[in-house]
Amino acid sequence: MKYRICHITAYKYASRVSHCYNLAQMMPRTTQRQTCFSSKIEVTPKVSRETRREDFFGNNIFQFEIQNPHRELVITATSQVETRPQIVDTNLDLGSTCAEALLKMRQSKSEDVLLAREFQLDSAMIEASAELRDYAQDLFTPDRSLLSAVSALTERIFTDFTYSPLSTTIATPIAEVMKNRKGVCQDFAHLQIGCLRAMGYAAKYVSGYLETLPPPGEEKLVGVDATHAWLSVFSPGEGWVEFDPTNNCLASEQHIITSWGRDFNDATPLKGVIFGGGRNPGMNVSVDVSRV
Amino acid sequence: MPQDPTLEYSPLGKPGDEVHEADGTIKPHWQYVMESFSALPLSALQERQNKASRLLRDDGASYNVYSDDQTSSRHWGLDLVPNIISSENWGDIEAALLERSELFNLMLRDIYGPRQLIRTGVLPPEAIYAHRGFLRACQGIRLPGDHELITHAVDMIRGADGRMIVLADRTQSPSGTGYALENRTVMSRVLPSMFRDSHVHRLAGYFQQLRTKLLSLCPHRSNPRIAVLTPGPRNETYFEHAYLANYLGFYLVQSDDLVVRGGFLWMKSLDGLNHVDVILRRVDDSYCDPVELRSDSRLGVPGLLDVVRAGNVVVANSMGSGILENPVLLKYLPEVSKALLGRELRMQSVTTYWCGDDADRAYVLSHLNQLVIKSTYRKPGEYSTNGTLASAEALAKLKAAIIADPLSYVAQPILSSNFLPTFSDSELAPRPAILRSFTVAGAGSYTVMPGGLTRVGNEDGSFVISSQVGASSKDTWVVASEPQRDMAKPAEEVRAARDSEIINLPSRVLENLFWMGRYAERAEACLRILRTTYRQLNGEDPLSAQMRVHLLEAVTKLASVTITDVPASDRSMVSLLREGAVPAAIAGVLNSMLFCAEEAKELLSSDTYRVINDIRDSIPLLDTELGDHFQTPDEVLDPLVTALMALAGLNHESMTRGYGWRFMDMGRRLERAVQTANLTECLLVPELPEPDQSRIAEAMLVAQEGLISYRRRYGARPDVTIGLNLVLLDPDSPRSVMYQLTHMVMHLRKLPKANTPLHEMSPIDKALLECTTRLRLASLSELAQASEAERDHLRQQMKHLSESLMTISEMISDRYFDHREASQQLVSVKWEGL
Repeated sequence: MKYRICHITAYKYASRVSHCYNLAQMMPRTTQRQTCFSSKIEVTPKVSRETRREDFFGNNIFQFEIQNPHRELVITATSQVETRPQIVDTNLDLGSTCAEALLKMRQSKSEDVLLAREFQLDSAMIEASAELRDYAQDLFTPDRSLLSAVSALTERIFTDFTYSPLSTTIATPIAEVMKNRKGVCQDFAHLQIGCLRAMGYAAKYVSGYLETLPPPGEEKLVGVDATHAWLSVFSPGEGWVEFDPTNNCLASEQHIITSWGRDFNDATPLKGVIFGGGRNPGMNVSVDVSRV
Repeated sequence: MPQDPTLEYSPLGKPGDEVHEADGTIKPHWQYVMESFSALPLSALQERQNKASRLLRDDGASYNVYSDDQTSSRHWGLDLVPNIISSENWGDIEAALLERSELFNLMLRDIYGPRQLIRTGVLPPEAIYAHRGFLRACQGIRLPGDHELITHAVDMIRGADGRMIVLADRTQSPSGTGYALENRTVMSRVLPSMFRDSHVHRLAGYFQQLRTKLLSLCPHRSNPRIAVLTPGPRNETYFEHAYLANYLGFYLVQSDDLVVRGGFLWMKSLDGLNHVDVILRRVDDSYCDPVELRSDSRLGVPGLLDVVRAGNVVVANSMGSGILENPVLLKYLPEVSKALLGRELRMQSVTTYWCGDDADRAYVLSHLNQLVIKSTYRKPGEYSTNGTLASAEALAKLKAAIIADPLSYVAQPILSSNFLPTFSDSELAPRPAILRSFTVAGAGSYTVMPGGLTRVGNEDGSFVISSQVGASSKDTWVVASEPQRDMAKPAEEVRAARDSEIINLPSRVLENLFWMGRYAERAEACLRILRTTYRQLNGEDPLSAQMRVHLLEAVTKLASVTITDVPASDRSMVSLLREGAVPAAIAGVLNSMLFCAEEAKELLSSDTYRVINDIRDSIPLLDTELGDHFQTPDEVLDPLVTALMALAGLNHESMTRGYGWRFMDMGRRLERAVQTANLTECLLVPELPEPDQSRIAEAMLVAQEGLISYRRRYGARPDVTIGLNLVLLDPDSPRSVMYQLTHMVMHLRKLPKANTPLHEMSPIDKALLECTTRLRLASLSELAQASEAERDHLRQQMKHLSESLMTISEMISDRYFDHREASQQLVSVKWEGL
């Protein structure tokens, strides 16, 4: 599927920002299942310097500095991407079993396994716990295929938790999400990653966009799409496979990847330091994913 | 007369004697020094130890110790018996250190580059990925030249078999070189002949190499600007930061002195922004950039990492270098060395068990009471646990912690170090010692500092030897059997741009000097009027009620305190002034002055520092001695006044006439003018009947040190008109308001001007001109004219004068000092550094 994505982020500050340093992850990366043809970012007010680079995880970073005083910051990222389905056997019952996967994670000296081990570890926003392990453990029986177990966990989270856009801020600790049984896509991704890591599997956080389709017969509105987050799990032998607990599915062609990392911290769409600006800036994000 | 006892150091009679052979004879390289010490009477050694302490103190050598919520400064301790290493033995150590630094350099390059060590299974991924010192944002950063690791420090102990063994590596921003240099400087002054005759290898080569290397990191600029980035005076090793900056001729900066603009790093100074090319980093890497690293850091410069990435500034040690301090690496060092150097290291490291390894963890958990257990990530104030000394309860807690988070713990066997003779009370006692040695990258290879910093434990078997817990230090002497030929010193490059550069200080330093001047002057004014008041109270005649009121008002106004009691007698006035608010207020002013002095430490000479120490020591006297009713209070104040005068004199006589001096002097002038106006308002505005009027005028003149010159010139009883002439208008009296204003105008003229073709005066110049003119146009008889017991015109003039001066102070601050806006994170997310 070919898409044109327009992602606009606008900040309105309560008082003047004299200068700022920001870092945006809004340019889709090219991966096994997607190709990014072009991406550009426009910033108002005018930047005094900008750099593009790849970060540690291979994500595209757009870094900029504004030295003109401003009260409003608008970042418009436009990209052209072609996505393909994940290469994964539709019969998830095949492939490494949970027991095999755990053994290989520990013993294999093959490079992909060694590098995947980074994603078994705790990260800033995801700390494995007995509670998380207990929540998922019964699904991961030794002889069951890992991917089928992950799929079952995806469904469990989808069923047990309520999607509630107002329920969480950007960084809700997983323990709180567990308690309240509600959250947004980031929280569900964090939660499932936490469960997987608590059992010894490697999982990473994926940030991107999801194309939403209008109800049949209706015209699609501009800007209704959203930034989205899901996860990818490593199955030795099968490689990395993406699941979406918010929608209870494998990531599809409609899932467009911008970045990945250990958690939200590694894939934050926009972060930075501002000088001045007052309290509680107004932020407005609009995403438009259109087929071309 | 009894013989003055001398010092003996007998053989230990057990393994670990660094000085004696097994048969009890002194090892050859110790012979000369041990004989010299044993020939020295105890009293002479004590006297020299005192001299050493005094020298260290005068140089401001201290080590700040973090306690629960406040930082206390501990004077640096130096033991006079050096740690002596023979030249031959040092040759082996040096070669081993060179090799080690090379290896650590290659490791660092691999960890932030291809990570072959992980890909090929030499290092378990968790050894790097689970460590907080691994900063993913630093991936791919390379320094110009052959080395990523610029400075490296290695902590070693010598075991009973005579071999050195490595306990730990310091790669974040190794501290200790400045202390080593200071130790050496003091030793060569306290024991000059022993030092001279021992043919000790010099330290200078190391520092020359450090300087050369840092200069070479900015190859495209002929005269790169290099700055030492310090967290500030509260940091434990701030002394060293200031000391090194001075010794090497670099700027000493804090994060607020720096700003990123247009992809470059700049230092904020009086004439605007100046490029910074190289940073010698003494702030931990994870704190250096709140945009990409720890978002809660106040010690960094937003945007710095991207400037580093672009190659527009070089930071040494390179950002991310802290990962090499991970003790887990010690476990894998032999394999890493084989992979990167093709051989094992010749100097061993302490055996290290990592709880992230199944077999190691099992061993550690079953041998907890025989091992030292450490966290893999060092935090200030956190120490390792000595399993042999820990309680069963503590071990159980530790066990649980290890099981919960095995990756974060290592354990090592308890090693005993050889013992060094150390001066303790009145004898030489054997003490365990750690040697920290330093290497610095050069062209091609590393240079090792001959010797290093030796620290000795407080007790015979002390386990933790850390400056944080008050260990003492020693100079380390690598002694040649023959005198060392003076190394051909590379000709120091001509520093043409130095003169104009030295005056180009960070705005923060100037601001602190300005305030140091103001506080010093304020303290002096307070002390003078307080002293004068005491003298009046102790005079032959009791004071009238009115005089008491006015003198009290003068003291409280200058010290900015409120006292509502009206003392009924001289006696009650004395106790009112002795206890409570006034001494506390003066102590507060002095402490503020000391704080500013610390911020500008690198500009203060040893002589100045000695006076500052005296002032610091005298502050508690304000509290204790002043309340001591057997002492005359004014005598207690004399030494403080003298010390403040000495400080003023030193500032005046020994500071370069750069911007630093100008701002300090402006601060002084401004404050003195304000205080004189205040004093005049309190003492001379009320019209009193004689003899009170003369007495109060006399008090005014005494406080202003003007009585002698008054008597010489006028010979008469103090008269208000003539007194006003002296304190306000006399252009030749260094205490008159006019004199202060004239000097401020002079300083302002020398400061950089706004770049404008217009001839309009600056707002500060205008305000000063207005003050000066008002004073010039004033008529003394009008000022002295009173109606209804008050000199109203004088009051108006003095009020106006002090208010205008306050405005001028604010204008100076707005125009010349930096006013950093508060920064905040655009998105606040938790940062754990994993």
